[in-house]
Amino acid sequence: MNLLSSLFRRLLRMATVVLLVIVGSIVLVRFAPGYLSDAREMDARYAEGARNELATEAARSGSVGGMLWSEVRGLLRRDLGVSRQYEVPVVELVRPCLAVTVGLLLKSMMLAWIIAGCTATISNWGRSPVSLPGRLCHLTSTVLLAVPIGAMATMCLLADSGGPLLVLTTLLAARDFKFLDRMLRKAWNDPHLLHARAQGVSTPELIRVHLLPGIMPQLGSLATLSILTALGAMVPVEVIFSTPGIGQLAWNAAMNRDLPVLLAVTVMMAIAVTASGFGTGSRPATEWQTA
Amino acid sequence: MRFRSIAGWLLLAMVLIATAIVTSSGKAISEQDRNAVLEGASHRHPAGTDSLGRDRIVRVSAAFLLSLTGAVAASFISTAAAAGVGLLAAFSTAGVGTLTMLVCDVFLALPWLFLLMMVRSMLPLSTSPADSALITFVVLAALGWPACARAVYQGALRLRNSEWMIHARAGGMRIRQIPRQVLPNLLPLLLPQFLICVPAFVVAEANLGTLGLGVGEPLPSWGGMLLELGNSAILMQTAWVYLPIAVLVMALLLLESTAREA
Repeated sequence: MNLLSSLFRRLLRMATVVLLVIVGSIVLVRFAPGYLSDAREMDARYAEGARNELATEAARSGSVGGMLWSEVRGLLRRDLGVSRQYEVPVVELVRPCLAVTVGLLLKSMMLAWIIAGCTATISNWGRSPVSLPGRLCHLTSTVLLAVPIGAMATMCLLADSGGPLLVLTTLLAARDFKFLDRMLRKAWNDPHLLHARAQGVSTPELIRVHLLPGIMPQLGSLATLSILTALGAMVPVEVIFSTPGIGQLAWNAAMNRDLPVLLAVTVMMAIAVTASGFGTGSRPATEWQTA
Repeated sequence: MRFRSIAGWLLLAMVLIATAIVTSSGKAISEQDRNAVLEGASHRHPAGTDSLGRDRIVRVSAAFLLSLTGAVAASFISTAAAAGVGLLAAFSTAGVGTLTMLVCDVFLALPWLFLLMMVRSMLPLSTSPADSALITFVVLAALGWPACARAVYQGALRLRNSEWMIHARAGGMRIRQIPRQVLPNLLPLLLPQFLICVPAFVVAEANLGTLGLGVGEPLPSWGGMLLELGNSAILMQTAWVYLPIAVLVMALLLLESTAREA
């Protein structure tokens, strides 16, 4: 019963967060200084009648309530609204992109976890905070985090080596390494582990029996952090490599002020992040999210 | 401690050099030399020129200063807002606290870049470069506080339940005295949060710039200059001009990690 009520509470919280995200995004966009200006109004090819229609359309979508209603109606109709730019249901634009992006994200996250796990283990192997491998791993991850993802992607493109998977994996591995390393270092020096080590328990047994069960809950937070980082990084990566994914769709929508698409993508991202927090039992990680 | 002082001195030296270059070169950031378009390093232009004939060393220095100043200011606003919200949530009623943290969760559930893209794309088409820079960093500050606020909330909650605080409240401490008593104790928490924000904002602006949604031309910014990476001719000539800002972010990351460990 307790489990059910806790599950229900978390579901309710998730639904509230998603609803607030929709309202917040709409309010933010509605009150952005240039919301009511439309690039099409500057196009001389539009006739006076078309301009009047544009003005009417702008006035109709000018109220927060109206925007919210059209968004909710899109969600209820499962078409996520109609794209201003392409004049087709948003869901038709999103569906093919989603498959590409999910595949890319899953592959890069899995690879990044393996790399980060291995490097964090190597970094902690010497059991000294000033070990050479540890310092080298830290330096490498700091250098990688200092390069914006866009620059990294462009370099790969110019060098004609690597692709979106390599860039995303590199960024995620660098970020995950910092988190995993801190976590392992703390866990490795826990009193019960120190005691077990002093008693001569073998390292594989220490890791399997004591270390892994202890850090399992924190791995949930790491998963959320990975998802957040990957979602933030995928836009520049997909745009630069011309990958037909959600990131490129969002960028195109931003450049063409296609609000329904942009809003739908933002809400989907929010659902993904909230659901990952829900699934792993953690709140969205409070680590820094910018890619 | 050693790393922190190295990073601090490095930062100071870079700021001084960039300021000296901008103020003493005698060239404006948007001044064009039409006879020297895409020129390599020369006596007149030590780092060459860009595709519009503008001196690159002046632009890199100005971009460095703009990114750093904007990120520091945004980080300050963000940390101050987080301190206010965290304190309010911790020291008010349980209902207000829950509601405030729910708002934080909403902000944390949104990937930054999407929100930034959404807001930046909705700016008027005639936004001036200075306004675009201001809006970019204000939006960064406005979206950057929740993670910090959650950390402050946890810290303030611990303080609220500490013995000295219970004693002080039982002794009649007034509400307006709380920030004055609590903030100094939260400084060890606020400083790393501030330092985390600065490199994050510099990189966020660069990522926005790469997408063409950052600070508008002709103002130089790291993001705007990264757009030039698409032109391999410029890249081959003066790839090193990107180094100062990468070093800036590295120094900031180093400062942040030492502050976090401290």
